[in-house]
Amino acid sequence: MTAALQAFPTAPIASDVASRDATNDADARDRAPLSGLAGLLLPTEPVRPETSVLDVAQQFLDSRHAGLLSLPVVAVGGRPVGMISRYELMRVFLQPYGRELYGRRPITALMDRAPLVLPLSTSIDEAARTIAAHVRSPITDDFVLVDDAGYAGTGLVLDVLHAVEHRLAERSRELERAYARLKASQSQLVQSEKMASLGQMVAGLVHEINTPLGYVRNNVEMTRAALGDAARLVSAQQAVIDALTGEAEPDDDLDTRFAEVGHLRTRVDAAALDDLCGLLDDTVHGVGQIGELVLNLKDFSRLDQAGLQKADINRLVESALRIVAHVLRKRDIEVVLKLGEIPPLDCAPAQINQVLLNLLSNAAQAIEHERGRIVVATQALDRRVLVVVEDNGKGIEAEHLSRVFDPFFTTKPVGQGTGMGLAISHQIVEQHGGAIRVSSKPGTGTRFLVVLPVSGAAGAAP
Amino acid sequence: MSAPLPSVLFVDDEERILRSLRMLFRGRCEILTTTSGREAVEWVRRRPVHVVVSDQRMPGMTGVEVLREVAAHSPATMRILLTGYADMDAVTASVNDGEIYRFIEKPWVAQYLVDTVEQAARVARHDFALAAARPAASAASPVDTAVAARVAVLDDEGALAAQVRELLPAAVRVEHAPDLEGTLELLADHDVAVVIARLSSADGDVADALKQLKRLRPATLAIVVSSLRDSRLLIGLINEGQVFRFLLQPAPRELLRRGLAAALERHAHLRTQSDLLQRHAVDAPRHEPVATTTGRLLQAWRRLREAAMLRIA
Repeated sequence: MTAALQAFPTAPIASDVASRDATNDADARDRAPLSGLAGLLLPTEPVRPETSVLDVAQQFLDSRHAGLLSLPVVAVGGRPVGMISRYELMRVFLQPYGRELYGRRPITALMDRAPLVLPLSTSIDEAARTIAAHVRSPITDDFVLVDDAGYAGTGLVLDVLHAVEHRLAERSRELERAYARLKASQSQLVQSEKMASLGQMVAGLVHEINTPLGYVRNNVEMTRAALGDAARLVSAQQAVIDALTGEAEPDDDLDTRFAEVGHLRTRVDAAALDDLCGLLDDTVHGVGQIGELVLNLKDFSRLDQAGLQKADINRLVESALRIVAHVLRKRDIEVVLKLGEIPPLDCAPAQINQVLLNLLSNAAQAIEHERGRIVVATQALDRRVLVVVEDNGKGIEAEHLSRVFDPFFTTKPVGQGTGMGLAISHQIVEQHGGAIRVSSKPGTGTRFLVVLPVSGAAGAAP
Repeated sequence: MSAPLPSVLFVDDEERILRSLRMLFRGRCEILTTTSGREAVEWVRRRPVHVVVSDQRMPGMTGVEVLREVAAHSPATMRILLTGYADMDAVTASVNDGEIYRFIEKPWVAQYLVDTVEQAARVARHDFALAAARPAASAASPVDTAVAARVAVLDDEGALAAQVRELLPAAVRVEHAPDLEGTLELLADHDVAVVIARLSSADGDVADALKQLKRLRPATLAIVVSSLRDSRLLIGLINEGQVFRFLLQPAPRELLRRGLAAALERHAHLRTQSDLLQRHAVDAPRHEPVATTTGRLLQAWRRLREAAMLRIA
């Protein structure tokens, strides 16, 4: 017997019971997860201990009791004293002369004297545990619910099962939601890492773009001014020529026009026009550079995850190098490229870009001396592609080496690294069915090795 | 015969920028160009250069480093930064270390650059001539900075004023004004050597006032203390306000002390050699003082202008 049952108090009238608000089954099931067993309460009218077996059998026929396996037996004062099940009645009535032998006896003769009694405040989980410990097969009985005032009603085992199921479903939904939130916040982290590294890039890129923009604008302004001079020269010369050839009457201002031609010719001569051509060549070059930078930037800002494409890893390396060019140039870092013959790779180019960018900017940041050197090598091996990024920077301490791919692990000063760069790179490479390894010697340098299957994640060896 | 053309040195690691600039300034000045910061410094050491226009981001030496060296070797040379990207650290260093005349961003407007460089060249030629006429003496003799100097602190909190008071010798009068009106009244009534202003918002009256003030009182030097990491604001304060120092709040004691000492010395120098004032000429503010200006503030401005007129007369 459960503790709940032993703690049961003996108290007032049971006749109140029938007048409690009727609760239908559907309602009970809906409310169940909210209020424990109270939500499953059925205000079943109990039978008295002295009621005859035949009368109880009659009561089972009452349509209000159609859904019940058993009826509670409650003494005056509201104390439940037993439970009588249809099963038990049927067992007795099916015996020869069962009806005649037991029909007139009080129900106490047949009832289960130790029914399952649970307080209304019991939680669904606890009720489920108690029922599981108590239940017999086949399930023949429901259970009695009590409150401080004594008998409160009955509860159905089936309802408890439904409620448990409901709660399990709710929990798994909660888990799903938590998982979804986690996934979203991770992709947010990936995103913010991308933004942070982009933010560092922006400064350099703005400079890279404004430099050509500077001379392009200046050259165009000067060309416009020179063209104005040239136009005036042509019209002045025309006027002079017309006057000389007699095409037109010489104007009074012919002398002035002559002077103008003389003056303008010093400004618009063959040499000046040659210079102008040179400026326009520079301008075309500058506009091309700006276009290229914008194109690179577009590659890096692409957020699509899916886009699996065939890509040339060497081109990705070159494009990533262009993005970090300003950092490398500012620190006078020499870049050694050893690019091999590489077959096109099945990958998400924007993601591989992110990995390369991360490795390159880490390499640049690791170099604190003035003889900086970064080696980038690619090589095809069987059905795999190897990418090596090696620097001669300060290296990584042995105790940090095993943690560099951990999320949030950083040795950079606050605000300079999110600690997510390598963790994300690691994830991206794994998603491509590849691997990323690091080796380092403090004071000498660090080498990252990325291995990617040529045929993408699908073709990766298991 | 007219004076020889002023010499202008352009420093940029992009050849095409130099080519473009050579073309723009052809016939206007003697043009020197180099892609190396070190070579630029060498040049200034070897021969008079009136104006140096340098890029900021270059391999080897940054523009600010170049200009700081230039200032050390040839104080009369005017220094201009011409750069494609203004990060806050570079702009702050350009004020505090480079004491630059203008901060110009790429892409530049051709006419503005020409005008600015020519203006700078005029000032530099004047100063070169002055230095030649008064050899050694003026440059070497220490100026007595403390005499009757007056410092105004615009600080709505008061902590900065207390710190300034503590850092300066007793002979210097430190006046504290909690608001702009008070500061302007101080300026109208007294000859103020240095204004130290705490700047808490980029678009407030204070930044505008500092710019206006430089036009009326070129000899008064401004030190701005602010927590705003806003490079655009600072570029405005350089070009339109010739701010003397910009310190990020909380300003390190030593930096503030050195800034104050340098400002007082510069002020004394400017007072004895008013010819030098042209170095502090400013661009017209891009916009007029804000429309929210109160009556009291307008009153203070009027008094300040009248006082400035009297001084000139």
